Amino acid sequence: MSITSDILRGHTEAIILSHLLEHDSYGYQINKDIMKKTNNAYELKEATLYSAFRRLEQAGCIRTYWGDETVGARRRYYSITEKGRKAYADYKREWQEAREIIDQLLN
Amino acid sequence: MKEKIIQHFNEIFRDAPKTRKALDLKQEMMQNAMDKYDDMVAEGYLEEDAYHNVINSIGDVTDLFSETEEKNLLTLPEEDRKKRAMLNAVAVGLYIFAATVFFFFSSMGNNYWGYNFASFGFVIALLICIAPTVMLVYAANMYPDYSKKEKSDMVDAYKATKYSKNKELAVKKSIYSVIWSLTLVLYFIISFLTFEWRYTWILFLIAACLQAIVKLIFDLKNVEKDDVL
Repeated sequence: MSITSDILRGHTEAIILSHLLEHDSYGYQINKDIMKKTNNAYELKEATLYSAFRRLEQAGCIRTYWGDETVGARRRYYSITEKGRKAYADYKREWQEAREIIDQLLN
Repeated sequence: MKEKIIQHFNEIFRDAPKTRKALDLKQEMMQNAMDKYDDMVAEGYLEEDAYHNVINSIGDVTDLFSETEEKNLLTLPEEDRKKRAMLNAVAVGLYIFAATVFFFFSSMGNNYWGYNFASFGFVIALLICIAPTVMLVYAANMYPDYSKKEKSDMVDAYKATKYSKNKELAVKKSIYSVIWSLTLVLYFIISFLTFEWRYTWILFLIAACLQAIVKLIFDLKNVEKDDVL
């Protein structure tokens, strides 16, 4: 599983972007969705997640805002930008291409 | 258990830079950790197990700290360095200008129109000296003299001492330049006033003594600090 998690970690940013396509979200929610989708097979380390958030924010792919929680401490929400959507589309296309090539080479 | 989570975050963020970004990150991570903890407990996990799971899923946060550095005083930006250099240069220029003004007035001779031009020039020169002195002190405090960009994986305590040492060095250097600039001005002023060039060079010895005294004062301050540590 170690090779898999290394490979997956490289795609963290795309994974985050795909989760923000439909609706805004926050750190733990995204991680929870990932765990649900992969049937608990994959979980991002918090540090990895937040590292990716910063990079995406710096690249202008996501925006962040503080929620106005009435109870408890406030949460930091993220939403995808137009640039982020475009980046995600490019990334998905490149991933398909890469996957095809690797499948061909590993046959 | 939630208290322990807060404590844990305080612990791992202890060495983080004290910036707004770092604080925001800490709050964000902590809130997410709390959410996860609540979820697990709701699902039936034991509090102890939930706590350990949450703690273990944090990972290594030290890499995040380098991204939270904003105006980190150890990474001196180019503009600040340039500003400081310019302030120093202009200050020295102003000192020379002050000396020139004095010579100009003294050379106009005494008792012209009933005024003693030399002393008038002296006063003007001293007034002019206010500006460069203010500049030097400002430059020393606003733009700490730090030439290299240090890697951000230093321990915070070491960072703190380094920063204070650099600030101190900057202030020291500033004081030295003030001492020597004033000495130069005074030397020329007094020499031209008295023409006792064979004696006035002693001023430079006095300046050297002053510089040594300043250094002593700083060293004594440091010794006191180290004793307390």
